[in-house]
Amino acid sequence: MSIPVITLLTLVLCAGILIGGVLAVQLNSIVSAVISAGLASLFASVVYVVLAAPDVAMTEASIGSGLTTMIFLYAIRKTQGED
Amino acid sequence: MAEITVIICSLLIFSSIVFGIIRLVIGPDTVDRVVAIDLLTIVTIALIALLAHHMERYIYLDVALVYGLLSFLGVLAVARYLEKGI
Repeated sequence: MSIPVITLLTLVLCAGILIGGVLAVQLNSIVSAVISAGLASLFASVVYVVLAAPDVAMTEASIGSGLTTMIFLYAIRKTQGED
Repeated sequence: MAEITVIICSLLIFSSIVFGIIRLVIGPDTVDRVVAIDLLTIVTIALIALLAHHMERYIYLDVALVYGLLSFLGVLAVARYLEKGI
């Protein structure tokens, strides 16, 4: 009984990765696009945990979702990007 | 009994993720999307803790711990950017 519940959650996470990727391409505001790319990285980290790879998940969480967002925002500010 | 608890928690986390994604998609402003990604981060930490309980591998709680620290820094960086701080 518990296995379909975890499968349902995994399917929702994979759909969230797809939605984050599409939003990162389609949105007009550049900060919203960076945040949507962070969403894809966030859900990919949880899918790595489901696939029994906690070290990969920890690296993805720290670099993909934390450091990349900060570096993107810093670069946008330094290059005087429009919102 | 514990099985029923896991199922109820999974359904609550499922509905929270769906509503957060809906707000992220239709959010008209950047600030709405920042709040939606903060909600999704907190729900994701709860989901990782639930998976650690369900699979009985408590090393997964370290992933939730690291994620809780770094997501706080990410939202803080976005807020500093929106207030022209960085």
